[in-house]
Amino acid sequence: MRALAPAAVFFASAALAPLVVHDAFFLDGLVLILLWGTTAAAWNVAGGYAGQISLGHSAFFGLGAYGAAILGTRWELSPWLGLVAGAAVATAIGLVIGYLSNRLRGPYFVLATIAFSQVLLLGGSRWRAFTAGSEGIPVPFRPGFWTLGLVDKRLWVWILLAFAVLAYLVALYLERARRGYQLAAVREDEDAALSLGVPARRLKVVAICVSAALTAACGALWAQYVGFVDPFYVFSIDLSIRFALAAIVGGLGTALGPFLGAALVTTVETYLRAEFGGIGGRFIGTYLIVYGCALIVMVRWLPQGLVGWIGARWHRGAAARTTP
Amino acid sequence: MSLLSVAGVSKRFGGIVANRGISFDVAPGELVGIIGPNGAGKSTLFEIITGFYHPDEGEVRFDGERLTGLSPDAVCRRGVARTFQKLRPFLGLSVLDNVMVGALTRTRDVRHARERARELIGRVGLAEKAEAHARTLSTGQRKRLELARALATEPRLLLLDEVTGGVDQRTIPELVRLVRDLHAGGLTLLVIEHNMRVITAVAQRIVALHLGEVIADGTPDVVARDRRVIEAYLGQAYVP
Repeated sequence: MRALAPAAVFFASAALAPLVVHDAFFLDGLVLILLWGTTAAAWNVAGGYAGQISLGHSAFFGLGAYGAAILGTRWELSPWLGLVAGAAVATAIGLVIGYLSNRLRGPYFVLATIAFSQVLLLGGSRWRAFTAGSEGIPVPFRPGFWTLGLVDKRLWVWILLAFAVLAYLVALYLERARRGYQLAAVREDEDAALSLGVPARRLKVVAICVSAALTAACGALWAQYVGFVDPFYVFSIDLSIRFALAAIVGGLGTALGPFLGAALVTTVETYLRAEFGGIGGRFIGTYLIVYGCALIVMVRWLPQGLVGWIGARWHRGAAARTTP
Repeated sequence: MSLLSVAGVSKRFGGIVANRGISFDVAPGELVGIIGPNGAGKSTLFEIITGFYHPDEGEVRFDGERLTGLSPDAVCRRGVARTFQKLRPFLGLSVLDNVMVGALTRTRDVRHARERARELIGRVGLAEKAEAHARTLSTGQRKRLELARALATEPRLLLLDEVTGGVDQRTIPELVRLVRDLHAGGLTLLVIEHNMRVITAVAQRIVALHLGEVIADGTPDVVARDRRVIEAYLGQAYVP
């Protein structure tokens, strides 16, 4: 139970904060932290737990975003249905990528995932008749919960919190259940896992599909929250790196890590954009440099991420307190 | 009735013939050794039996059922476990978690798997190391870990690839005792071993391979005196 305390505190604070703070800027930040945290947690299912490092997860995010936008603008269907449709298509693509993961390992798999997202980028930006091409799709604002036209940012916080908790529970399952142990074995050494009767191929495919579906759900919510779907953003490598970065900074293969990573990365990015960006700003791309440096620092000195670093200090502190 | 039956197995890699028409049977409860100089095809044979390679010709049967064509995980679930010559513990996991992965093939209950894993870790003499990361283990300890992990899948046939290879002299008797105990407990074993003293001491029967072919199959003392075996191992000059 004690292991769950940090997560309980994190999610409870996120749930209660909107009741106390009404500042729109703060609430917007909270929405983004939860959104990017959930995408990072979704990425972590494949990248952290199953060891299938993907830099093409924006493919799934974009499918979710387009799912909600196209169903909403063409047939005036609820974005919730768009979310489900996007997740379904993402799962199908996840099957293909999962199949690839059984053929390609390591860097080859990473390259294949990048290629996948770029193919979708081309499709999204060129198939004008269906996706409105490179102009993107403005998502109409239709007030109501079913149409996800919500002015009150507090509602957004709670909706995203529900998805964040869902993603967290998936991770928790992977840490404690039989399938989680088996997936860890696959990540460590696939052949050894096979020799012990672990259905490695199937597990990898399922992990990638779950990861894809969750990412797509986030894409749909994001489209609805921001109100505009731009193929060059939703299918971009930048976005894929953002998912991976938050998970790596927070702690690969940890349940809470992606959320802490997203909180840190999003906060720093917002600050840097406000400080150096803005109209006429001379250092608009600064946050990208910080991204790069953060990644280098984490991989080199803190490969266990924030969770590992805090955990180690915590244990050391506890040991110091108990030994006089 | 044999438990394992290898019938006419051949495997080529490009122009190299690793296994050529290999046939032998293993009866239930038997401990069979496989010997042969480097490149004789011993490891290839193991990979074929456990489903990692598919033979070009021939087939492997286990308890009457065809194993050839099954994936390695399916072979394991049928009751055939193995260790690797080049050890492959899950380095990032604890010793306990390593063994639990094996146990979870036979039970869905994580708590039950943990108990079973503890029991086996004790049996191979790693009890104090249960919570340690596999990364911190010595080669001898890693061998025992692999053994415990394989046993956790509750095999009816266990394939050991080089029990004593790369282990210091003092550890060898312990490992040999462990293998003997397992055999005495009713387990059927197929063991690749380079150390002739070890293999002649534990095996009831030895199959000798050379250049992918079976050159001798019989009791240890018969095989050890076989003309072709001596020739393969030591060269013609040593044939009496």
